[in-house]
Amino acid sequence: MPNMCDCEQKTKRFVSDCEIVEQVEIGSGVFRSILKDPNIAAASLPGQFVNVKTAEGFDPLLRRPFSVHAVDPENGTFALLYDVVGRGTKLLKAMHKGDVVSIVGPLGSAFDIGNDPNAYHVLVAGGCGAAPIHFLSDYICRKHGCSNVTVLVGAKAKDAVLCYREFTAHGVEVQTATEDGSFGFQGLVTELLESHLKTLEGTIRVYSCGPMAMMKEVARICKDMRVGCCQLSLETVMACGMGVCMGCVVKTHSKNKDGWSYSRVCTDGPVFNAEEINWE
Amino acid sequence: MRNPVMTASGTFGFGKELADIVDINRLGAIVVKGTSLRPWKGNPPPRTCETPAGLLNAIGLQNDGVDDFIENKLPFLRQFETPVIVNIVGHSVEEYVEVARRLDDAEGVAGLEINISCPNVKEGCIAFGTTAEGTARVVSAVRKATKLTLITKLSPNVADITITARAAEDAGSDALSLINTLLGTAIDPWTRKFRLANITGGLSGPAIKPIALRMVYETVKSVRIPIVGMGGIVSGLDAIEFLLAGASAVAVGTGTFINPTATLEVIDGITEYMQKSGVSDVRELIGSVSE
Repeated sequence: MPNMCDCEQKTKRFVSDCEIVEQVEIGSGVFRSILKDPNIAAASLPGQFVNVKTAEGFDPLLRRPFSVHAVDPENGTFALLYDVVGRGTKLLKAMHKGDVVSIVGPLGSAFDIGNDPNAYHVLVAGGCGAAPIHFLSDYICRKHGCSNVTVLVGAKAKDAVLCYREFTAHGVEVQTATEDGSFGFQGLVTELLESHLKTLEGTIRVYSCGPMAMMKEVARICKDMRVGCCQLSLETVMACGMGVCMGCVVKTHSKNKDGWSYSRVCTDGPVFNAEEINWE
Repeated sequence: MRNPVMTASGTFGFGKELADIVDINRLGAIVVKGTSLRPWKGNPPPRTCETPAGLLNAIGLQNDGVDDFIENKLPFLRQFETPVIVNIVGHSVEEYVEVARRLDDAEGVAGLEINISCPNVKEGCIAFGTTAEGTARVVSAVRKATKLTLITKLSPNVADITITARAAEDAGSDALSLINTLLGTAIDPWTRKFRLANITGGLSGPAIKPIALRMVYETVKSVRIPIVGMGGIVSGLDAIEFLLAGASAVAVGTGTFINPTATLEVIDGITEYMQKSGVSDVRELIGSVSE
């Protein structure tokens, strides 16, 4: 197995009652919640998630995983960005400033940005996958500067392109792809990736979060173009989020006799090296 | 045991996964995940589905096998004073026996929980646990293979749980665990597909507590060996209900998924209840419900 990137969890986890300090609808059906917890804000790395109890009591019973969208360690806050798609997100967006929610985190593996100051970083976000990519973009800029960073944002149409202004504010190069052509390139963000990679020479690191089909294509492109390090942040339904229930698994390559096994997205991931994933 | 609160198998991993959040030395006992002779891959995803106050799962006992457990997971658990109970699974009687034999030689295992009730594997497990004959075959064979304390984990997916309970007792089980999960399923109306790849799964969580409690109460009256009660326990008062019904100990399962420190809160909740009701020994509570 090539192991070009090291995404393992190394951060401490906290169980915390967090106060909501801000609730904003940033686009149609897309919300940002900012929560207070200095420990989680300080410990979180891009790609990691938190597990949120969106209501007291037994319905919904389980926590819901949200990737960390931004951190502000000075103010002890962190942000979540989400599409309202189900009961958990509906309950979270309906909460008010001052409400308190139980959160476990930060959880899981993080994107590994490496130590090479000259490496090119290409970040590919699809839809709400922009949530952790935003944190990653900010993080890379702080560590390595933003001159070698390009963010490719894909969405169905202009109003679904998330975080465009925020990425621009980080100072990174931003390109957008919309299926209807209403903003930027008309087509898929993976087409943008392919053409962008052709313009780069040297060490390239690709990071992606978005729909599975998109990430599968990102992985294929990186393999074909011999990009040494391609990292994907996966999403599956989780029960515990802490590595014990084995519910959230994906097929990964393995050294065993069948050549594959199931790995937990919550603790082996959510960030995997693209080469680890078995797409069959 | 320093207190009657254990972890339910499959909900606390092998201890290490939660040791940064839960002080394992505070637990009455730790029951680790189902362990088979050879590694089991488990079922295809989706493996879990939430239902009102409940969780359906069809994990299929994914684990790396007993040798991996002894080599890579047991050493970590030896640092704690808490008794380690290993949940054992098999496709055949011979597999249960071999797992038990290997664990019998391993340092730091206090007992075995014989899992003849997992509803999510095609061969073995629940196929044994739904009849008195199957239960007796597995339990008596494992009994001959080990001197370790044996707990038999019973399935609620039977017409009368006291029949398999008595079969386990007669075959030499030292204690019983009940209940394992209840068979169920869920369908997505919009896609017209089952929500679990395995189609059926085992239901756990607060939704099943009344059934578990009833089964513990029925079983207590028909066996002499102690019972570990489980099914939907998330608080100290839930645990108290099981003790009053006659369970000698309790296990917290899905509760840990909702709240990673649920086991500790159950322990504290039992203490608080005892203080409030002037009970000095938890054994005074066992079976003290009045009809």
